[in-house]
Amino acid sequence: MSNIKKEKLLSVSNILIMTVTFVLLGLLINVVVFSQTALRYLEDQAQVTVFFKDDFNEAKINELKDSLSKDKRVSELVYVSKEDALRIFREINKDEPVLLESVSASILPASLEVRAGKISNLKPLAEELKIIDGVEEVRYFEDVVSRFKFWSTVVYIIGTLLVLVFLVVSYSVVIAALRATINSKGVEFEIMKIVGASDDYVKVPLIHHGVFFGLFSSFIASVLMIILGVVITLTNVFPRGLGIGFLPGVFVAPWVFSIILTFILLLSGFLLGYLGSSAAIKKYLNY
Amino acid sequence: MPQIEFINVSKEYEPGKKVLDDVTFKVEPGEFMFVVGPSGAGKSTIIKLLTKEEMPEGGDILFNGESVLNISKDSVPGLRRKIGVVFQDFRLLESKTVFDNVAVALEVADSNLEEIRSIVPNVLNMVGLTDKMFKYPKQLSGGEKQKVAIARALAHEPDVILADEPTGMIDPDSVDDVLEVLEKINSLGTTILMATHDQEIVNAMKKRVLRIERGQVVSDKKGGKYRA
Repeated sequence: MSNIKKEKLLSVSNILIMTVTFVLLGLLINVVVFSQTALRYLEDQAQVTVFFKDDFNEAKINELKDSLSKDKRVSELVYVSKEDALRIFREINKDEPVLLESVSASILPASLEVRAGKISNLKPLAEELKIIDGVEEVRYFEDVVSRFKFWSTVVYIIGTLLVLVFLVVSYSVVIAALRATINSKGVEFEIMKIVGASDDYVKVPLIHHGVFFGLFSSFIASVLMIILGVVITLTNVFPRGLGIGFLPGVFVAPWVFSIILTFILLLSGFLLGYLGSSAAIKKYLNY
Repeated sequence: MPQIEFINVSKEYEPGKKVLDDVTFKVEPGEFMFVVGPSGAGKSTIIKLLTKEEMPEGGDILFNGESVLNISKDSVPGLRRKIGVVFQDFRLLESKTVFDNVAVALEVADSNLEEIRSIVPNVLNMVGLTDKMFKYPKQLSGGEKQKVAIARALAHEPDVILADEPTGMIDPDSVDDVLEVLEKINSLGTTILMATHDQEIVNAMKKRVLRIERGQVVSDKKGGKYRA
């Protein structure tokens, strides 16, 4: 195989490995943002539902509601009367007339839906509400949220490790690619130095070479991430948009997020190419 | 002021094994000097020290009165443009034409295309290779290849040409041609320092001869002779 063919094959395989790295990095960032968005949705939905005994009348419930509304941990309170409960029940079971006939408002409990600003406040609120006289039952879905949090963390850790491994591999790939170039152009570099080339004259094209690998690979990964963003926008999986972790309450459309991600990937590609080629030059050209 | 001055220069590549040991000599502007001695005597090391490819363990090296050792890293390319180097193995780029091989020396100094188009034919004319301008090295004889290397060394109009065994890999018929070119360059004022162990060339040229053996200067004679 000629040197040119070998170099081409090497370049293609290098670009492939680096593209896999950036696709993984893009997917990891997407997974983090998707799961944060889902977590926020779950947290918004997370509530304590307090069911009252029949003898705990509406006046007492309103009294409790007033006292809870002063509690800083509580973000929202919704009172569901027996009549409201029946309406909801009918709505849910509208296709089952036999069941509807057997149920009246009197047998359904009134309830109070308590939402907390922080999910961690749900448990203490539930414990406090449980011991109030007149409370029949307190329900909350702490497990769902905590399980989701646990698995999200597992995904972050595995994903981050995977990305780190591939970043190290890609860094080595840039160095190996430039090592091959330096070896194949060894005489040319030597001649350049002898005839008075500055360090930069020899170094800059090699840096460009490394940066090209990084940018080209991250560009391919970026295109795939934009396609993913457009698909998610069109399928309306996240109707409110994607939540940006460090900006509470900020939601952006998936396609907008994929453009932000493109910048992150291209910057990573540039840095990886630049740092890898700088290391190769230092190692193999003694600069 | 001497153009080149070695003052008590010592160099060792391995601890305790001196390649040059307390070497002192001067070369005046416009001189033609042979550095002779057996293989491994330290001839090539003198060239590497002068172009700052290597650093000595002791002594000082002056070029145009300025210490080469004190030149900053950024100034080394400037030094190398004042000193043209020619090697035994030519060191040409096989994938480039004669014109492009010479042009490399100018390109690295950021010369523009106009300058390159004017200087390259001139230096090729000086070494007698105008008609081979667009040939590739593999289409040239050994002597012609060496002339291309000389032309490349001349591109920056250097003060000095350092020739390291320039006739070592060329056929005997071409040796005279190459020496003729070097003499012509010298006659135009460029200092020539040529390392060789070819006694026939040295004896025929009748120039100054600096003899080095086991890293030390053993003789330095004008119009000297050399017997290996």
